[in-house]
Amino acid sequence: MSHKLTFSGRISGFFFEVGDMSLFAVRYFREVFRGPYEFRELLNQCYTIGNRSLLLVGVTGFILGLVFTLQSRPTLMEFGAESWMPSMVSISIVREIGPVITALICAGKIGSGIGAELGSMKVTEQIDAMEVSGTNPFKYLVITRITATTLMIPLLIVFGDFIALLGSALVENLKGGVSFTLYFNKVFNALSFGDLLPATIKSFFFGFVIGLVGCYKGYHCKKGTLGVGEASNSAVVYASMLLFIVDFIAVFISDIFFEI
Amino acid sequence: MEKPTQIQPVLEIKDLRKSFGDNHVLRGFNLVLNKGENLVVMGKSGSGKSVMIKCLVGLMQADSGSIQINNKSIVTLGQVELDLLRTEIGFLFQGSALYDSMTVKENLEFPLRRHKKKLNFKQSNDELILEALKNVGLEDAIDLMPSELSGGMKRRVALARALIMKPKIILYDEPTTGLDPITAKEIIALMRQIQTQYDTSSLIITHDVDCARVISNRIILLIDGINYAEGTYQELIRSHDPKVKAFFKH
Amino acid sequence: MSKKKSQIIRLGVFVVLGTLLLTAALYFIGNRQHLFTKNIDLYSKFRNVNGLQVGNNVRYSGIDVGTVNSIQIQSDTLILVRMLLRSSETQFIKKNAVATIGSDGLVGNMIINIIPREGSSASIAKGDTISSFSRIGSEDMLTTLNVTNENAALLTADLLKITTEILNGDGTLGMLIRDKRLAQDLKASIYQLKIASTNTSQMIADLETKISAIDMENSAAGILLTDSIEGNKIRHSLTQLVTLGERLNEIGNSVENIVDEIENGNGALSYLTTDTLVVRQLDATLINIKESTKRFNENMEALRHNFLFRRYFKKQERVQRKEAKKEN
Repeated sequence: MSHKLTFSGRISGFFFEVGDMSLFAVRYFREVFRGPYEFRELLNQCYTIGNRSLLLVGVTGFILGLVFTLQSRPTLMEFGAESWMPSMVSISIVREIGPVITALICAGKIGSGIGAELGSMKVTEQIDAMEVSGTNPFKYLVITRITATTLMIPLLIVFGDFIALLGSALVENLKGGVSFTLYFNKVFNALSFGDLLPATIKSFFFGFVIGLVGCYKGYHCKKGTLGVGEASNSAVVYASMLLFIVDFIAVFISDIFFEI
Repeated sequence: MEKPTQIQPVLEIKDLRKSFGDNHVLRGFNLVLNKGENLVVMGKSGSGKSVMIKCLVGLMQADSGSIQINNKSIVTLGQVELDLLRTEIGFLFQGSALYDSMTVKENLEFPLRRHKKKLNFKQSNDELILEALKNVGLEDAIDLMPSELSGGMKRRVALARALIMKPKIILYDEPTTGLDPITAKEIIALMRQIQTQYDTSSLIITHDVDCARVISNRIILLIDGINYAEGTYQELIRSHDPKVKAFFKH
Repeated sequence: MSKKKSQIIRLGVFVVLGTLLLTAALYFIGNRQHLFTKNIDLYSKFRNVNGLQVGNNVRYSGIDVGTVNSIQIQSDTLILVRMLLRSSETQFIKKNAVATIGSDGLVGNMIINIIPREGSSASIAKGDTISSFSRIGSEDMLTTLNVTNENAALLTADLLKITTEILNGDGTLGMLIRDKRLAQDLKASIYQLKIASTNTSQMIADLETKISAIDMENSAAGILLTDSIEGNKIRHSLTQLVTLGERLNEIGNSVENIVDEIENGNGALSYLTTDTLVVRQLDATLINIKESTKRFNENMEALRHNFLFRRYFKKQERVQRKEAKKEN
């Protein structure tokens, strides 16, 4: 790949990266179903990615629900439509805001973490050491991490959504005197499978994208500490960008299948 | 050092070529490592030593040439066979390359996870680990994290990890780089001790002349991508070739 | 090892909780859509479904009992709506119930309301069709509202014109409000009325004195007057006349007060609008006047039957009759 910053160089560099990342994804799918399986490491990664991010996701989700409800209240009150708050908040959180915000936070925390970890392992020849010791580092490091993000981020999104709705219900309870039972009754009244299913399906793709980009960037890290920083940084940037592209495509597809 | 009694090649490189774009790093390198031998490959930085050793273990693909380890050509091996072959080779990395996220014990355990059964070791993992650590004099460090170790200790743990599968060939990539002279000497002494204890053949890549002098049975000078000169330390320091002389001049 | 174990346990808790949450959410949503309950289907035919959609709620007496399952056009004027109702609730819904389409609040979703009707009937069964009633939809409501609005706009425009004219002093009402002289004339007239009533009152008092001065025992008038029936009648008339005079006097006073007050303001109407007391007084006055005139009429009737005036009244009647004849 050319490192000259000419326009054509950048363009070809971009396409090279897209192609290379696609090959990386293809390699993931080729190897994920083939043994040997690194279950211990997978569980370890699930723990790191899932449990260790729950607090962050929970806090941001709670504040998101709280603020969203507080901000929307005056407008809805103007129309005398406060009773629509649970429906409005739940639909926007479950369908869009919850998955996207949680995924972006995970891209920041998990994606950059994976990028930096694999990047530094690459730089200090730990990945080579694994390979030499007869362990497939792609299986050990990449498959486990991408699988873990693909499985854990949807769960984090479910938690995030739920906690955001709790935050919203709290505001409604304190400011509007709406009981939690009534709030959640209205929430489930407003939601349909067409809201929850596409959001859940797309959250698996979010998880996959975060893991894929983090692993790719780390695995192809350039030598030196600067390379590690760059790997972690570009993992976040690329993952965030890809998340929005995936989201766009997901909305497009669910529009066709679920008739939003 | 006395020469090995029987000459039996365990590692053979023939006409190895590797280039990165216009940069032809290896241009037909040849090497034979005999059983029980300590072969040192010397060269300047960027001369292609590391590339050569990476090609040797399959971390890099050579452009052409053949590499035979224990009479198996690594170029033609599939992944599974290659991984199995790699258990016969110990590799000490330049920067130790210990896994940061694992304790010393887990670092040593790591190569055992996949291949212990195939190698029919009778000892348990813990016994193997303890034995390897004893041999490098670090049995107390078993539960420490790599970040808690000094540079010399890291190198020893890395050596213990390279030894855990009881390999017959050990590849050392700049074993003394980044260490103070005293620690470097300790490591060299350790390498010699292990060579006798485990009955291994060693391929050592270094630019440290002292290291080469102490440990080598034979030295190959890698200059301009080929094995430029070959011989014992004594033979080479007597050479009149200016490029060779440049190496041994202090 | 124990650290690893506790990690795995915590991971397990995380996964189980997350999965449970998701499953619970799916279950509750499914429950709303009656996916996990035993359902029966019920049909109804409409001419217009007013934007009803599949998935809208079906309510029976205001309770959610099911959802709309499908909507099919059967002919150019008939739309078949299939509803899925929870079978546990269907025993309460009778075959004679009526389905109507309404909206959940002014801007809410469309719903089907099943309304029970009087009279006994069997409970609905699977596949039944119940009759429908097309109620006014929110669209129709809005159309009506629109017409009402237009009318209101026209009304206010007219009202504006009228008030402008009043303010400019055009028309009778305008003149009443703007003209101070009129108020003065009114005052003068009322003053005259007061004097007249005082005089009347005095005159009646004189009459009373004179009557009481008649020798009741000896004179013919006395005999006539002491005739118990006729006498009582006359006494009664006189008493009423006295009261009338006093009342007229009172009215005169209060009207005078009112007009004074009006004069102090900038025209009559502005004062009326600022002082409710005046309004009340005026109201009371008018009632008094009405009452007084009624009594005056009664008195006049009584007088007509009295012997003293009978002749006069008869003569009057005769004249009227003659005039009527002449006219014919």
